[in-house]
Amino acid sequence: MWDALIINPFINVLLFIYNLIGQNFGIAIILFTILIRLITHPLMAKQIKGSQAVQELNNNPEWKKIQEKYKNDREKLAQEQMRLYKELGINPFASCLPTLIQFPIIIGLYQAIILSLANTPIELFNLTRRVYSGFLDLSMLIPLNSDFLWMDLSQPERIFIPGLSFGIPLLTIIVVVTTWVQQRLITPPSTNPKDQTSQMTGMMNIYMPFLMGWIAYSLASGLAIYFVTSNLIGILQYALLGKANLKNLLPSRKNATAK
Amino acid sequence: MKEPDSSTHAKQLMKTKKLYSLLLIIIIASLLTGCGARLATTSWPGISSPDGVVYAAYGTRIYAINGATGGLIWAYPSEPNNARTFFAAPVQSDGLVIAGDYRNTLVALDAASGAERWTFTGASGRWVASPFVVEDTILAPNADHNLYALDMNGNEKWRFATCQALWSQPYSDGETVYQASMDHNLYALDLHDGSLLWSLDLGGAVIYSPTVDEEGTLYVATLGNEVIAVNPEAGSVKWRVQLEHSLWTQPALAEGSLYLGDLDGNVYALSAADGAQRWSQDLGEVSVIGRPTVSGSSVVFATQKNGLFAMTFDGARQWVYPGVNGTLYNGPITSEDRLVVGVVGGDNLLVALEPSGALAWTFALPE
Repeated sequence: MWDALIINPFINVLLFIYNLIGQNFGIAIILFTILIRLITHPLMAKQIKGSQAVQELNNNPEWKKIQEKYKNDREKLAQEQMRLYKELGINPFASCLPTLIQFPIIIGLYQAIILSLANTPIELFNLTRRVYSGFLDLSMLIPLNSDFLWMDLSQPERIFIPGLSFGIPLLTIIVVVTTWVQQRLITPPSTNPKDQTSQMTGMMNIYMPFLMGWIAYSLASGLAIYFVTSNLIGILQYALLGKANLKNLLPSRKNATAK
Repeated sequence: MKEPDSSTHAKQLMKTKKLYSLLLIIIIASLLTGCGARLATTSWPGISSPDGVVYAAYGTRIYAINGATGGLIWAYPSEPNNARTFFAAPVQSDGLVIAGDYRNTLVALDAASGAERWTFTGASGRWVASPFVVEDTILAPNADHNLYALDMNGNEKWRFATCQALWSQPYSDGETVYQASMDHNLYALDLHDGSLLWSLDLGGAVIYSPTVDEEGTLYVATLGNEVIAVNPEAGSVKWRVQLEHSLWTQPALAEGSLYLGDLDGNVYALSAADGAQRWSQDLGEVSVIGRPTVSGSSVVFATQKNGLFAMTFDGARQWVYPGVNGTLYNGPITSEDRLVVGVVGGDNLLVALEPSGALAWTFALPE
């Protein structure tokens, strides 16, 4: 079911793009990522709006009063919160639902890229079984060209410099930096940097780039290309929606957010 | 006793949350990288049996198994290393068992004990295909696009670069080396210095080795769903036949006919002389996969999910053995009289059958 609805269509579109642009897998991954992000853009815009509405509620004087009034009665506080949501026309799930819908798409994209970079016979065989006959002539596409710039997209990327006994994972570094920048840009300014949500966000800002970096370091560099593209498009999407918080990139963040 | 105040409690809660977040991220990273690594290093068992001993390469080890009983003789390495996996069928020659791993090491083992004799690490890619030994030369194709010629001590004699990965075993008649490549070409090289004699664009990638008849004609099945007969001297096409469905096979040759199956459940007998179809049969919803094997007066085909079945040279069905309990990606080999097939994802790694189709023995991966 998952394969038939998500993975296989993704693989076929990815290979279709690959064939269309002259069999360059790196460009195909970039274009495919842009395509998926464009398709899911309305969901992302909804998610941002939803998050913003919830965020704005934290600054609502009435909500602050309610919090103070019912600070020792969690049940009542929750009831009042729901009432306020209703009054202000906020859907608390507006930010979660688009994320939940996007999640399988992102996982599917990840798996489609992994499966398309078949570099053993069994992987190639399994790939041939996923391609729609009549849509693509896979026999003309095989072997898939996984070379892109200085990389073999089916292998982890390293740059070897004469005199150095180890390879430099340049793409991993780019993944870490772009993930960090994206995380910082999309983090809304907090009214109270000491509250738990802000601290959790701060932690994610630190951990996420390293998680993505570790994946980019360990797995096929085609995935790292996807991560970098996805991060850059994410930054662009937030900027176009006017939600990129450039102040977060500046060193004087504390002063900026305290205002 | 003084109770902790709310700020201390909040700090503790935060600390716990931080720890859980960190753990969650580590688990996700491990799962993602672990899954990817597993995907990247999987294949089907490579098996061969040149001398009554069955050699099987699968996962982290190479196994030598008694072809008569299915008992384990030795396993290499004694301590498995997860970073080093073997899937190419080992070859045996001159008391050595030679096999390559999915990192970049080609290793020669003592055939009797499994002790390591030498290694060759001059390639940079995976050893997907088996080497071929002719006279005192080991011809070893690598996924780094090169065919390596080594002496029997593992020293490089020459190498020949193609444009894509080499996944199929070469063949040599003692003068010329024939190597099919994923770059769609069949190459003929001088055995002694690796110089190119001719190359032929087959129009599709080749996964399996050429089948060779007594006159030296080479028969290859391509991923372009063609079966092509190639003249070995001139490198010209004798005939080519386009089949309708996907081929993942190497033809078997017997009594002037080529036998092969396709992934849509058809099996064919083609005339080796001109490619004319002698007969074909639709076996239903099965995928006929890998190289069929000639055993006595039978041709034995493997299907991906439905086991093995044997047919006469005229296309009459003889027996079916559905009980391999797993997935097959290649056809059986013969060991003495028996048929041995490698299984993926089943209870057993190897299943051996008598020529009649009765079960002879099974071999499961040691704990």
